Amino acid sequence: MSVALSRCLCRVLSRQTAPSSFLLGEHHHAVRSPWFAPVMTLKTSAPLRAEPKKKKKVDPRREQLARERLRKKLKRLEKVPPEFIPIEDFITPAKCLDETRERSAPKLSFEESERRAMMLKEWCRYKQDQHMAEMEAVELALEAQREALEELKLESEELYQAALKPDPLLFPFTHEGPTHTPPITQYEAPDGKYTDITKVYTQ
Amino acid sequence: MQQKKMAAPCRRMASRSLLQFLSSFSRTAVGNTATRPFSSTSVCRAALQTKDATDRATSSWTLMAAVCLQRLPVITADYSPIEERFQQLLHQMEQEKSLLSDHEIKLLEDAERMSRKQADDYDSDEEDDHGDQDIVLAQDLEDSWEQKLKSFQPAPRVRADVDKELTSPERCLANSLLLLAEQEVGGQKLWLLPQTQWQQGETLRQTAERALASLPAGFKATFLGNAPCGVYKYKLPKAARTESSVGIKVFFFKAVLSDGGPPAAPNPSLLWLKKSELQRYLKPAYMMKVEPFILEL
Repeated sequence: MSVALSRCLCRVLSRQTAPSSFLLGEHHHAVRSPWFAPVMTLKTSAPLRAEPKKKKKVDPRREQLARERLRKKLKRLEKVPPEFIPIEDFITPAKCLDETRERSAPKLSFEESERRAMMLKEWCRYKQDQHMAEMEAVELALEAQREALEELKLESEELYQAALKPDPLLFPFTHEGPTHTPPITQYEAPDGKYTDITKVYTQ
Repeated sequence: MQQKKMAAPCRRMASRSLLQFLSSFSRTAVGNTATRPFSSTSVCRAALQTKDATDRATSSWTLMAAVCLQRLPVITADYSPIEERFQQLLHQMEQEKSLLSDHEIKLLEDAERMSRKQADDYDSDEEDDHGDQDIVLAQDLEDSWEQKLKSFQPAPRVRADVDKELTSPERCLANSLLLLAEQEVGGQKLWLLPQTQWQQGETLRQTAERALASLPAGFKATFLGNAPCGVYKYKLPKAARTESSVGIKVFFFKAVLSDGGPPAAPNPSLLWLKKSELQRYLKPAYMMKVEPFILEL
């Protein structure tokens, strides 16, 4: 059966090779390539021996889809909201809750507690008077300025308008406030060395 | 043309009649409807400008601007007796409510260890934690810190001799000082805030800046805003009154002396005074107007 088949194949091929050799006229005299070897011999060559891999086009796509699904799951897991930076001031350090640090609270006599209560009330009254005096002083100053602007308006409209304009060069205005002792003339302050141990948080 | 012919008191009447004339003219005008509104507004604007000029010309007050230059306090003020007592009370109360600090704990431990060492049945083998710390006691640290503080000499807060010199800006560092200049006004030499007359074409603030610059000592100051903070007006005596000036209006502008200026040589015609000392140098009516805006806060 296979011999008959091979004979048929041989005849077909011989018919085919004739015109093909006619086409490749130049190479007719050249060494015959293995691709055009007569099938009668049925030489087993390397390509014929190996099993052709059945490459399904769907497979690489399936792998890619699987990888994408995994990636999406990872992204969802990683989408954790960033941790808040702790405010150091709001956390009581453990040192302060230590019981061994508590002072022995002195017992106040009646006179002492009375004196303290009276002192607090006196201070309250003093501060209130101070505040009222400040408010009054500010009111008087404002009244003086209002009067000045009124007089200016009676004088000339354009000077009044010029006075009302805000001064762009005034701000930013800085002034060194009062200290406990006056500055020493031509004093060279010694360089202070310090190591900065503030904790830096990254989100 | 018509405006110049009209006398000052009847200028309002004149402008009204002008407008009536214009409106009648515009109603009868044939053709140029586009130029009608243009001409009336230009004439109105011209009328306003000339009205301002005539106002200034007919106003009988001479304008002057003065500068209120303040040297702000350099050191903190002393405590009043009640403030002192309250400060002590607060300190005491806070100490009672507080916890022991690390330094205080070390002091207590050291004292305890000392007492244990000096006891008869002292066994140094029991002390296994603090072998090296016997060298430096907390008390020694405290003493060394106090020594360091004593080696630094701060500048004295109060210098009695400088305080008496009224011409020096370094006096009374705890109060804010005001600059007074002796200027001739109406033939009299008076102590007042440095002032100068206003000239056409400048704002009042520029006049005040000029007044400051005209002083013999070169002061560097920051003016606080364009608006005046007070006004003092007075009428001239009848002998000195002219057609153009019945009286004088002085507008005050506040300024703050800025640091970094060259230390000025003390000038006898310039005084630096506290608010309480102003009474001796200023005239009562002038003082009444100047007092409100000088804040001793």
